[in-house]
Amino acid sequence: MAETTISTAAARRSFFGRFNLEVRGHMPMGQQMLVVAAGIMLGLLISAMLLVVSGVKPSGLVNEFVVAIFTSRRNVAAVLSYAAPLTVVGLAAALAFKARFWNIGLEGQVILGAIGATLVANHDFGPPALRLVIMALAAMAAGILWIGLPLFLKIKLQVNEIISTLLMNYIAFNLLLHLLYGPWKDPQSAFPNSKLFDDVERLMPIGWQNLNLALPIAVLLVLMAAWLLGMSRYGFLLNFVHANARMARALGIRIVGLTLLFALASGALAGFGGFIISTGIESRLTQSFFVGYGFSGILIAFLARNNPFAVAFFAILVAVLMVAGQSLQVFYQIPFAMVQLIQAIIVICVAASEFFIHYRLRMVE
Amino acid sequence: MNAIMGHMRGTVRRGPDGADVPPALVLAGISKTFGDFAALSDVDFDLRPGEIHALLGENGAGKSTLMNIVAGIYTPDSGRVAIKGQPVAIRGPSDAQQLGVGMVHQHYKLVKPFTALENILLAHPGGSFRAARSRLEALTKDALDRIGFDVDLNRTVETLSISEQQRVEILKVLVAGATIVILDEPTAVLTDDEAVRLFKAIRSLAMEGHSIVLVTHKLSEALNYADRITVMRGGKVVRTVLPTEVTEAELTELIVGSAISERSHRAGKAGKPVLKLRAVERSDSRGGKLRNLTFDVRAGEIYGIAGVGGNGQNALVEVITGLSRVDAGNMWLDAHGDVTNQPSDRMRRSGIACIPSDRHSDAIAGELRIADNYAISGVIEGRYGSVARVDRRGIAADTQDAIRRFEVMGVRGPYQKAGLLSGGNAQKLVIAREFSGKPSLIIAHSPSRGLDVRASAAVHEHLRAARDRGAGVILISEDLDEVLVLADRIGVMNRGTIVAEFEAPADRQMIGRAMVGHG
Repeated sequence: MAETTISTAAARRSFFGRFNLEVRGHMPMGQQMLVVAAGIMLGLLISAMLLVVSGVKPSGLVNEFVVAIFTSRRNVAAVLSYAAPLTVVGLAAALAFKARFWNIGLEGQVILGAIGATLVANHDFGPPALRLVIMALAAMAAGILWIGLPLFLKIKLQVNEIISTLLMNYIAFNLLLHLLYGPWKDPQSAFPNSKLFDDVERLMPIGWQNLNLALPIAVLLVLMAAWLLGMSRYGFLLNFVHANARMARALGIRIVGLTLLFALASGALAGFGGFIISTGIESRLTQSFFVGYGFSGILIAFLARNNPFAVAFFAILVAVLMVAGQSLQVFYQIPFAMVQLIQAIIVICVAASEFFIHYRLRMVE
Repeated sequence: MNAIMGHMRGTVRRGPDGADVPPALVLAGISKTFGDFAALSDVDFDLRPGEIHALLGENGAGKSTLMNIVAGIYTPDSGRVAIKGQPVAIRGPSDAQQLGVGMVHQHYKLVKPFTALENILLAHPGGSFRAARSRLEALTKDALDRIGFDVDLNRTVETLSISEQQRVEILKVLVAGATIVILDEPTAVLTDDEAVRLFKAIRSLAMEGHSIVLVTHKLSEALNYADRITVMRGGKVVRTVLPTEVTEAELTELIVGSAISERSHRAGKAGKPVLKLRAVERSDSRGGKLRNLTFDVRAGEIYGIAGVGGNGQNALVEVITGLSRVDAGNMWLDAHGDVTNQPSDRMRRSGIACIPSDRHSDAIAGELRIADNYAISGVIEGRYGSVARVDRRGIAADTQDAIRRFEVMGVRGPYQKAGLLSGGNAQKLVIAREFSGKPSLIIAHSPSRGLDVRASAAVHEHLRAARDRGAGVILISEDLDEVLVLADRIGVMNRGTIVAEFEAPADRQMIGRAMVGHG
């Protein structure tokens, strides 16, 4: 009797037992990059199918995403001018995530940064020659202020920062609306905008197309982040906080201090991102200047696995999507939400591809 | 003894009515290894119908592993299993259930927001929900009445006490039709009164014809409630005895053993104390409590702390390394004075090194490089380059050197991930790092747990070398053999304090009694 029950159990298993799921010990870096690249390609393929279904001809896709962007200097410049603030916000996310502080409040910090910069511009603080520097410092201080409260709550009371930083976004947005519909509204405009910045309050052009200082600054910040994470002692210690916090604690690494340092740097960078967008692209505060930057920063850092150089690469990829999305809007009446949908599809595909880095499916007899 | 051997070969005995009754369960020649660690080697075990059979041994003796094989959680590397005289292959928990084997694990597997009855239902799907529910409710009520359990089946599990949750687990197993019931350390979470009630219920189950395996490390339970006792040590069965034919002292000897295979050499002359603890108190929290804990560790000696796990050893490690504060009492370090409640980085700077018991969660970052794992303590102390630039070349060179000196095997290069090292080699890496700062006090907590003989011998040799260099070494271990072979002085830890101290060579029976005593 016992043997019959066993054999039926075995038969049932053999139906499902064709494939075995096995944990991989380790995958070489090159292979990991191939797997992630395959995930991105799959995401792009699914997105292309969605666009074709919504009425874009396949030839039109190639035209908008490849030909138009990489053959026109104007479009290359547009991509780079979006990529600069995206890189800065992506770096902000990477610094916080590396310290395992899940800063979902980048958008709020970007908004506050822009508000801080505009405050300086509105009141013409400081000599004109130093105006931009003061605006940048104010933006970073505002970003630090906005991450400071959730950080304090996290360290003192263990309040989950995912929730608190997320909610701070809404406070920031409503503060922005209050300013733009109230005290800061430009009387010469029908729209809820602040008044245009003076010339000394805008980032200088670098003399190629419409690009300005934001691009070299972003490159510099990538290098600085790479130094901080990859070469400095802080980055070395932070690797252990990230990889095994229990061990880091047992070895006497000051986890709280490191978390403070990197989370505050994250807030400062996000605020600086708000400064770059408002002074480099919009030249004023508008009620929607931040849309697409805050949350893109999170996904860029995720795709880049917090590596600063990869952040720059994925920021360019997202910028291509944004620019192509604009022309799709104009020529095919595809809504901007489609661009966000494509971003989401790529993230899901990459996240799913990570599965194959950690596990393998094997056929068994 | 011969009769027992006969049973292991699966012979039958006469039942009360004269018919042949085969043993409920026979295990023969069971072996199981995890990596290079032999958890079970050639284990025989038999269980008669209607008996309560205690499986007794220290932590890590292999009791739970053996029973997990019967329950289908693990598959054995070799050996045979027979149930009611029929050879069987148990390939998973569902096979075990169909064969009438039910196991109540140490950690209950219940869904907390569900009611007790729903949890039982969850384990036995089939038919429509409604029909299954009423059928199971009747079955469960019946089982409740028979063994005198008292549980409100319609309350959610999270509102039940621990002992009630345990009853739900037992009911789950009984409703599944288990005739072989395995209880893994069932009294670990119970008060004494609850334990007595549990054993009453277990006895009535046995009277009904159920066969019970009671996995425990408590001598008194085995002696008072079991029909037979099988003692395990180091993955092997030592002996099977009747509770009436052994004394507590004899049983202690069976559990802790008497063999010392490793040759030991003792310290020369111990110096002045490097660490003094005076009346240290810590209230109960994660890691256990400490009460009125006082002892000294001298330079150039290994102070062994023997004791059953969970008697405050983790708390002691946390307090000495500065990870946890004490409520009262003081701690002095030679040359640093009073260091009570100093943070962990200060303690490490004062010359304390630690080899934690759970190296993979507390001592190694598996996804980082071997070189980084080796150099981290040096980097924390400010060695290897400056704040602006970590000296990766210096780290790689020193790591190569340490890998060679400490014989860390299976390393292709210092940039390999540390998670790829086997247990013994990971431990050697931890020791290499912890010794690199020339510590004056080393705390080693179960340093050879899970290691094979060769690797443990190497670990022991490193600890002796540190002692001979003049460091004070605290060796905390549940393995009495390890303590006896290494320690120059032995303190026995029981319920948060040192209850007895012995000079080596110490009498292992006396230590064993102090370990399990409740006086």
